[in-house]
Amino acid sequence: MSNQKKRNFQIEAFKHRVVVDPKYAEKTWSILEHAIHEIYNHNASGLSFEELYRNAYNMVLHKFGEKLYSGLVATMTAHLKEISKSIEAAQGDLFLEELNRKWNDHNKALQMIRDILMYMDRTYIPNTHKTPVHELGLNLWRDNVIHSSKIQSRLLSMLLELVHRERTGEVIDRGLMRNIIKMLMDLGSSVYQEDFEKPFLEVSAEFYMGESQKFIECCDCGDYLKKADLRLNEEIERVTHYLDVKSEVKITNVVEKEMIANHMMRLVHMENSGLVNMLLDDKYEDLGRMYNLFRRVPNGLSTIRDVMTSHLREIGKQLVTDAEKLRDPVEFVQRLLDEKDKYDSIISQAFSNDKTFQNALNSSFEYFINLNNRSPEFISLYVDDKLRKGLKGVSEEDVEIILDKVMMLFRYLQEKDVFEKYYKQHLAKRLLSGKTVSDDAERSLIVKLKTECGYQFTSKLEGMFTDMKTSQDTMQGFYASHPELTDGPTLVVQVLTTGSWPTQPSITCNLPAEMSALCEKFRSYYLGTHTGRRLSWQTNMGTADIKATFGKGQKHELNVSTYQMCVLMLFNNADRLSYKEVEQATGIPASDLKRCLQSMACVKGKNVLRKEPMSKDIGEDDAFFVNDKFTSKFYKVKIGTVVAQKESEPEKQETRQRVEEDRKPQIEAAIVRIMKSRRVLDHNNIIAEVTKQLQSRFLANPTEIKKRIESLIERDFLERDNNDRKLYRYLA
Amino acid sequence: MERIDNLFYSFANRSSGMIDPEGIETLCSDMEVDHTDVRILMLAWKMKAEKQGYFTLEEWRRGLKALRVDTVSKLRKALPELEKEVRRPSNFVDFYSYSFCYCLTEEKQKSIDIESICQLLDLVLGSQFRAQVDYFIEYLKIQSDYKVINLDQWMGFFRFCNEISFPDLSNYDPDLAWPLVLDNFVEWMQAKQS
Repeated sequence: MSNQKKRNFQIEAFKHRVVVDPKYAEKTWSILEHAIHEIYNHNASGLSFEELYRNAYNMVLHKFGEKLYSGLVATMTAHLKEISKSIEAAQGDLFLEELNRKWNDHNKALQMIRDILMYMDRTYIPNTHKTPVHELGLNLWRDNVIHSSKIQSRLLSMLLELVHRERTGEVIDRGLMRNIIKMLMDLGSSVYQEDFEKPFLEVSAEFYMGESQKFIECCDCGDYLKKADLRLNEEIERVTHYLDVKSEVKITNVVEKEMIANHMMRLVHMENSGLVNMLLDDKYEDLGRMYNLFRRVPNGLSTIRDVMTSHLREIGKQLVTDAEKLRDPVEFVQRLLDEKDKYDSIISQAFSNDKTFQNALNSSFEYFINLNNRSPEFISLYVDDKLRKGLKGVSEEDVEIILDKVMMLFRYLQEKDVFEKYYKQHLAKRLLSGKTVSDDAERSLIVKLKTECGYQFTSKLEGMFTDMKTSQDTMQGFYASHPELTDGPTLVVQVLTTGSWPTQPSITCNLPAEMSALCEKFRSYYLGTHTGRRLSWQTNMGTADIKATFGKGQKHELNVSTYQMCVLMLFNNADRLSYKEVEQATGIPASDLKRCLQSMACVKGKNVLRKEPMSKDIGEDDAFFVNDKFTSKFYKVKIGTVVAQKESEPEKQETRQRVEEDRKPQIEAAIVRIMKSRRVLDHNNIIAEVTKQLQSRFLANPTEIKKRIESLIERDFLERDNNDRKLYRYLA
Repeated sequence: MERIDNLFYSFANRSSGMIDPEGIETLCSDMEVDHTDVRILMLAWKMKAEKQGYFTLEEWRRGLKALRVDTVSKLRKALPELEKEVRRPSNFVDFYSYSFCYCLTEEKQKSIDIESICQLLDLVLGSQFRAQVDYFIEYLKIQSDYKVINLDQWMGFFRFCNEISFPDLSNYDPDLAWPLVLDNFVEWMQAKQS
């Protein structure tokens, strides 16, 4: 055929020009309608899929999609209305079963219908923006069954009834529940939420409000928390079994709010069973449960933390201000350590090592330890006790553990410089009396202090150790160069470098002739090898071992202080000596002499001297004799008193004064350092910077800092700015 | 000029060549002014006199030339004008700090004892800040923290009088860089008032 001549004749490929028989559509539709009926009546087996598919295909092709679609809607709707009626007719518990069954049927039918109408689904429906078949089937189910007036509310109340029954302990058909709930989910999240979840949550809230009220009236805190925990887990389990997983967080929020958040304060402060009682009784399980439950609600953990903190501060405060407990410093510090251990345990076992709780614990300790300004002294005494005897026989690792615990208390101290002063005093006494249990332990603690506070803190302490060692070497050299002295009394000298050791006023007394000759020999030996140095004998710090024979021939070795030795040696040349004679001969200062005589004449078991009159105190008119009747079951008798003790009031005042005096140059040095680098700085910032710089040693008092600034102004180190009186300027 | 010099020598001590305390006393009685009067201090300021109780020729010349006087009676008549000049705010600060330094009699002396300070305060600030001066003097006499007052504290008090509302002290902020003695004074005042 030529295209040019016959213009009207056009071949259009792929288009069937089939004559449209108006009745064609009717006929085809009724076939399909019939098929739908059969499908709903469970008679699908007799149908030919291929035939039905083709029919549907043709209808769409021939532009009868509209008729097909609307027919589908009508037919399905009619069926669903029927189904609805049969569900409504079901009695009691069978209602849900019937609903479930019919739903399954509907789904199967829908599947088949969709398969048949797939062409329409793929072409007509997208073009016309109509709802696809499957979704249509669900929507129709929703509108005609679920939202039918007779079914909607009945369905909901049945579901809620079942949940309630399960909550009260009955066993329900979970499979059925799951299917029904899944049906609602399949119908769309808004159906699930509106037709089930929202009312479910409301009802649950009421239920748990009631539960919690009931429990809180009759349970103690621990039991209540157990019950709450149980309920919470129950709800979580319910969700996994038959609810939408997204409901978990919503229902747990309800339980948390009703059972925990609403009663938080009442639980925590419950008399005899609340948080404080749990802490006191180390109820780890209950505390752990409380922690896990409270962490779920807003302010839960902070509530626990606050109550714990104020409780700790309270007992801590009582501990450090209770005069009874303060009588024995070592006991006192042990109590502090025990308390810390207790709470460390609680935090690790029950509060899962929560850092914020650790911080609260630390700040509480820091608060109350510093309430008592003798804490630094007491901690040093505790360490002294341990290093003197407490650590005897303890393994190396255990020693480290104890020292680390002490360091932890040390860190809490604000006045670390006070601790340093006491530690130095006590260390000196330990070293000089040779009474330290373990050199390694001493060294280990020094290293820890150095790590914590820097080299300056410990350099003098280390100097003390060095002196001890050097003295040993010096003694060896002395005796090596004086072999003739090996027969006489043995002299042991510790040469102390003045700056390193705690300052003592040097008092000399009159040594017995044998000793003073020996000491002189040592002095010339030492100065021979160390020119330019000065030696002064600290007779108030020495000890002596002397052999004594008493009236009945009993022999003892007496370990005494140097002062005591001087006094005793006098009795080699006299049977009776008056107080005044002793004082004159020895030259020992009065208060020391009295103490010295008292320890030898008035203490049972150590009374190597006899006093007339036999009073407790030493009077200036007393007379002294050797106690010939002295007995002791030990050969070696210790009479000297060089042990570190809690300071008396006046001593404490003196130490504190010295500490205050020492702080002044440190504050000034800090001010000068800061001003030198900053040149100009305002008042508040200087205070802040100085405090920060010094806080590793002590807490600087702003008033004291101000005084030092004024002193520096007076000495022309600083000046005030002329225009802004808040500013200070560094004068080079 | 010659008259000024002659006037000087009429009061000066023959051997030292300066007007000494005795000479000043004579001058004062000639002017019919008490020698403890504040106007004498003002005169010293005008002269920029260095040493308390003494006027050198140079200082004398300086002062009288500035005041444009050459006789005792003219000098006396010039005093009210001098006082007005000193009390002008622009000059008073200078006068105030001068009066402190003028009282430092020893070399290297930096502070003045409490007793003298109380007198000086009364003299210099009494007319202007009667209440503050009286209360502060009372405080200084009973406190024991400070035995002397230095220039910084002296100047601080003047600032205090000018800036701080008295006696309520409501705008006093102890966190600012006021000298410590004033912090303590305010504390004492507040304790008294409650």
